[in-house]
Amino acid sequence: MWEARIKRFGRAALIVAPLAFLALIFYYPLLRLFQEGVVEEGHLTFKYIGEVFSEPYFRHVILFTAKQALLSTLLAMIIGLPWAYIFTRYQFPLKDTLRSLTIVPFVLPSITLAVGFILFFGNNGHLNQLLMGLFGLKGPPLRLLYSLKGIVLAHAFYNAPIITRMVHAQWERLNPAYEESAQALGAGRIRRFFEVTLPLLLPSLMTGAALAFIFCFLSFPIVLALGGARFSTIEVEIYTQFIVLYQHKLGAALAIIEIALSLLFTYGYILLEGRFTREVEVTYTRSTVPLLRRLTLGKGIVWLFIGISGLLFLGPMASVFYDSFTREWAGRTVFTLHWYSYIFQPQYEALIGAAPLRSVVNSFQLGLPAMGLASLVGLPIAFVIARYRFRGRRLFDTLVMASLGVSSVALGAALLAAFLRPPLELGSGWFAIVLAHSILAYPFVIRAVVPVLEGLKQGLVEAARSLGATRLQAFRDIELPLIRRGLLVGAVFAFAISLGEMSATIMLAQPGLKTMPLVVNDLRAARSFGGASAMSSLLILVTAGAFVIIERFGERLFGGTRWSR
Amino acid sequence: MQKRSLLLIVIALMAIGVIGVGTEKLVVYTYSSFASYGAAPFIEEAFEKKHDVDVQFVATGDARMMLTKLLTEQEAGRPSADVFIGVGSVDLSMAQGRDLFIPLTGEDVPNLASVREDLLIDPTNSLIPYEHCYITLVYDSQVLTVEDIPLTFEQLLDPKYKKMLILEDPRTSSVGLAFLLWTIHQYGDPGYLDYWRKLLPNILTITQGWSAAYDLFLAHEAPIVVSFSTDTAYSVIEEGSTRYKIMLLNSQGYRSIYLMGIVKGTKQEELCKELLDFVLSPQVQEMILTTEWVFPANRETLLPVLFYQNAVFPPDPVMVPAERIGENLNRWLLEWAGVIVGG
Repeated sequence: MWEARIKRFGRAALIVAPLAFLALIFYYPLLRLFQEGVVEEGHLTFKYIGEVFSEPYFRHVILFTAKQALLSTLLAMIIGLPWAYIFTRYQFPLKDTLRSLTIVPFVLPSITLAVGFILFFGNNGHLNQLLMGLFGLKGPPLRLLYSLKGIVLAHAFYNAPIITRMVHAQWERLNPAYEESAQALGAGRIRRFFEVTLPLLLPSLMTGAALAFIFCFLSFPIVLALGGARFSTIEVEIYTQFIVLYQHKLGAALAIIEIALSLLFTYGYILLEGRFTREVEVTYTRSTVPLLRRLTLGKGIVWLFIGISGLLFLGPMASVFYDSFTREWAGRTVFTLHWYSYIFQPQYEALIGAAPLRSVVNSFQLGLPAMGLASLVGLPIAFVIARYRFRGRRLFDTLVMASLGVSSVALGAALLAAFLRPPLELGSGWFAIVLAHSILAYPFVIRAVVPVLEGLKQGLVEAARSLGATRLQAFRDIELPLIRRGLLVGAVFAFAISLGEMSATIMLAQPGLKTMPLVVNDLRAARSFGGASAMSSLLILVTAGAFVIIERFGERLFGGTRWSR
Repeated sequence: MQKRSLLLIVIALMAIGVIGVGTEKLVVYTYSSFASYGAAPFIEEAFEKKHDVDVQFVATGDARMMLTKLLTEQEAGRPSADVFIGVGSVDLSMAQGRDLFIPLTGEDVPNLASVREDLLIDPTNSLIPYEHCYITLVYDSQVLTVEDIPLTFEQLLDPKYKKMLILEDPRTSSVGLAFLLWTIHQYGDPGYLDYWRKLLPNILTITQGWSAAYDLFLAHEAPIVVSFSTDTAYSVIEEGSTRYKIMLLNSQGYRSIYLMGIVKGTKQEELCKELLDFVLSPQVQEMILTTEWVFPANRETLLPVLFYQNAVFPPDPVMVPAERIGENLNRWLLEWAGVIVGG
């Protein structure tokens, strides 16, 4: 009797603890900041919100922000989905490694990405130079940047990996029997995909699309750098109000509108996801076809796609590498290791601890605990969403996603202000940054796990329980191994978020706590563009290595021996 | 199971690596380029040798981010900085009127006597200048010859410069803001809006910050960029190149002054004053010159020959007073943005 109660209590604590954590570390600071936008002299006011909507410029910006995010998400899906297919359908050497590497674009500081794009796709970039040389042209044939095209292309670069990984995690668990029955009934390949496979994959596709949309919705350095003169997003306005004018009222009003729109979109997606999710059989026997042997027409198309999208991903990154090994001297471009010796020089091993190598260590010291904490918070919440039916579940699901839709500038300001006062006097520094990062990262764990968990047949758990397993045992031995790929994807993205995050880190950091992207920024501000490229190259290599190792390690950690293939 | 507990131990270990605390600390907020590669390491070392104090530079972001951090901390009643180095003159209005810094006199900071008088723009001297620079246009002489370049704001509107300009966004960049203020100084309010409307076709892009704009320029995406009049000195001294040259519109340059001050509430006012005085000493001023690529505030600083020969001092520096900026900035930025997106 007592035992049962303790168990029930334990289970409740498992669910209440992460929610209490969020309430204290995230919702409280955020609401504290937001009330500046709607409360004046103790009274509720919609003056500032109204001010935003009555200004034609703000209306224009809000519409444009949504438009570019929608287009970017579409392109990310067009690029991301075929890659999910390739990873599911084909077998090729180093597949696991390549799959881990797909997340690398996601951690690039946006300014590094912008530079990579300029160097590669720019009017005077490597691609245009190559085409001009090949065909003897006078002007650049591809004018991709400084227009909406540039924004959409760069956003696709960032977000296609999310779609690929989310969809792949579900696809490889999909029982081929459904497609096989359709085939037996005479459905052709294309019809099979659109009428059987795609509907089954919709939950994870929608998940990826929702995350991508929110990211593009909040983006701003890329929009400014690659979009050209006429483009701007809400986030730029929020930055201006908080950082340049230090006017919290209008800034908070803008941030409220931004998060409301993000959440509205999230809610819509959750409604849709609920409609499309079905319980399906899980499988471990999806067969793969070797990609390298016997070229068919289908594989030819696949190779063409790999070539073109490879250009999109490798081009900008390779340009950054190239830039890190070259230097302008007396008007000529020369190859050099100058920038690497520059960033590794002990003279910059600063008294202030901003040495580049130290920043690598810092990034991991923040990223790994943030990843762990995000998983601890996200997993129970995902479990609640997927397993319990209660009133307002969809609203709950939407609200726990709020940290993704919040302006990073506003969040940084909110956390700094809250961490300076009771009851949350954490100050700033290592611990505060880990908390901030885990708040930004846990929605990824939720979103990666929920579709997989919802797709699991409840019967499996019930069978285990009828054989005498406790609920926790059933979770550990049945569900956890089955959702491990989803959890791993979420955790890796959480890690990536922490590695790439800048706004909250800048606000909360203490001397000696520079992360890799902050050092890239410093080097650029100090005119060392080559040094910044060298540091970015280091960042790419280090994070790539980390992703491969984490996924390998994680596969084993959650996999258990019984379930491994 | 063992692996799982191993992971927990790893996480726990990471949680322990926290920073220890030292002796008496003097915390200086500044912007990252000043701290990491500027004069800060030298200042720290030299000052610690003279005084028994641990100088700590905190510079996690750019100047505006750090000022925001300072303002937020002050509002919460918990300022952790003793000294702030790096309030730009375009942001001066944001720092004024908030009772943030301690007013200073020539007695507090003896070196203030050698500072150029036209740089003392804060009437209470709570913020005192330590460097100044001039926003201007920089061009690529391999694309545009001396005969080609515009000499006035009006000439810059010529269609032959179509998509040749790289600018910074005044909402996110203080360099961009300086250029906007310059056009306001030139054409008045609301005349500047008309100028920007006409300028639009010649703009290739407007970036978030100076470094993105200059990077585009160095990648030869467009031949004209809004930057600093000291850039030529940098490229001659550091890159051995005379390719990038300064163009002065209407013989002007927008003056940008960088200021520093002592944060109210510090327990070490005297030490802070000594630190500010040290920053204004010729020794540190010379150092600032070639790490920040700016002009020193102290008139007695010796300029290196190559710097003297190549850095351009505009004959006619212009500035919009802080008070006017404070009153109008919000509206200016909004109106400007309206013109940019709406045409």
